[in-house]
Amino acid sequence: MAERGASRRPEHLAAVPDSGAPPPADAGELLREVARGDEKAFGRLYDLVAPRVYGLIRRVLRDPAQAEEVAQEALVEVWRSAARFDPARGSATSWIFTIAHRRAVDRVRSEQAASERTIRAGVASVDTPYDAVADEVSGRLERQQVRRCLEDLTELQRQAVTLAYYQGHSYPRVAELLGTPLPTVKTRMRDGLIRLRDCMGTGVSA
Amino acid sequence: MTTEIHTLVGAYVLDAVDDIERASFERHLRECDSCRLEVDEFRETTAQMAHDTWSVPPPWLRDNVMSEISRTRQAPPVIPEAPAAPPVRGVSRRRWLVSAAAVVVAAAGAGSAVYVVQDQRVRDQRQIAEAARVDQARVRQILAAPDVVLNEQPVSSGGRVTVASSRLHNAGVVLLAADAAPAGRVYQLWTIRGGGDPVNAGVLADGQSADVVVVEGLPGASDVAVSLEPPGGSAQPTSTPVADVKLT
Repeated sequence: MAERGASRRPEHLAAVPDSGAPPPADAGELLREVARGDEKAFGRLYDLVAPRVYGLIRRVLRDPAQAEEVAQEALVEVWRSAARFDPARGSATSWIFTIAHRRAVDRVRSEQAASERTIRAGVASVDTPYDAVADEVSGRLERQQVRRCLEDLTELQRQAVTLAYYQGHSYPRVAELLGTPLPTVKTRMRDGLIRLRDCMGTGVSA
Repeated sequence: MTTEIHTLVGAYVLDAVDDIERASFERHLRECDSCRLEVDEFRETTAQMAHDTWSVPPPWLRDNVMSEISRTRQAPPVIPEAPAAPPVRGVSRRRWLVSAAAVVVAAAGAGSAVYVVQDQRVRDQRQIAEAARVDQARVRQILAAPDVVLNEQPVSSGGRVTVASSRLHNAGVVLLAADAAPAGRVYQLWTIRGGGDPVNAGVLADGQSADVVVVEGLPGASDVAVSLEPPGGSAQPTSTPVADVKLT
């Protein structure tokens, strides 16, 4: 990526404030309101997190139709268990992505999904215009930092972490794919995450 | 923290364990505060990896989810078994610094100075990322709107400009992905409404040819235009626009 990070642009290029549109809300606050049964707050929370929930699930499942289904399940689960979110344990977004990722992985591991994927592969390969824009925007704004941090990992750390997280493989499967002993894979997943954590910082999220 | 089961912490956070391992690990977590802290921090880390993946969901997903939640009962809160950990909010930064220091020490002890060397660069990256994050939230909100409308136009000097606008949010996102501007020229964005004069919507830096800009109040404008201007931008376009996106 040769272009400059969007964040390096001059000050006057920041969003033009005005017009009484609601400011971007904090996911933690919204989730507290959602926990009290506030459907409107859930709508705002949806706007804030749905592209990432859907994108993450889609990345793991690689099938837009199934991703849509699982994203719906995950988001409804967020609504259902909102009262169980414990802010002492971390940010609302990370809690939400944990739910989304778990759902995606459960789906990807089920045998049933495998056959469904085969059937649907032919039907579901058409990208909507939304995808094109989403890819570009996320490319500009967000990928850079994550990529840079991932590039700082050793090859084995990176492979171990991304095969598990982005593709939903179990660690024995990752070990098999990488031709690496199980204990090594476990260790690389952990020290890879330690290094990523320190590259990205923790406790900050929208 | 050194027990056998704890070696699964990375795999656990990445959801790379099976159900039995997950259950054993969670039992282990209930007995180990420092392990819980490690898990919580790793979860924030993987959440950042999720930022890397986003994709605009199909607009009807919102309606489907909203109608399903209106029929779905919420679960009651769980009473915590152990005394609650101190709240993260407000102290998270300090906590992070402490853990970063610990990592530096640990890495130095293991004969590696990698983390120490990277530290400054890491801090810079984080500042950049945080600055962008506020905008990102708004960008996401607009792109996820159920009524988002996309308009796209090639840039005559190469590349293209895409405008996503949402009446619901009374805002739009302009995405410029153009070829490099000629020497001594920068890209400048404009909005035009009701036949009036173009209004500046942002000037790109010298050498910058791609950007994402949130324009509040965009719906109602008739055009988003892009022109090449002297560095720093102009009060009014001084050349024929290289792109003019009609907002319909």
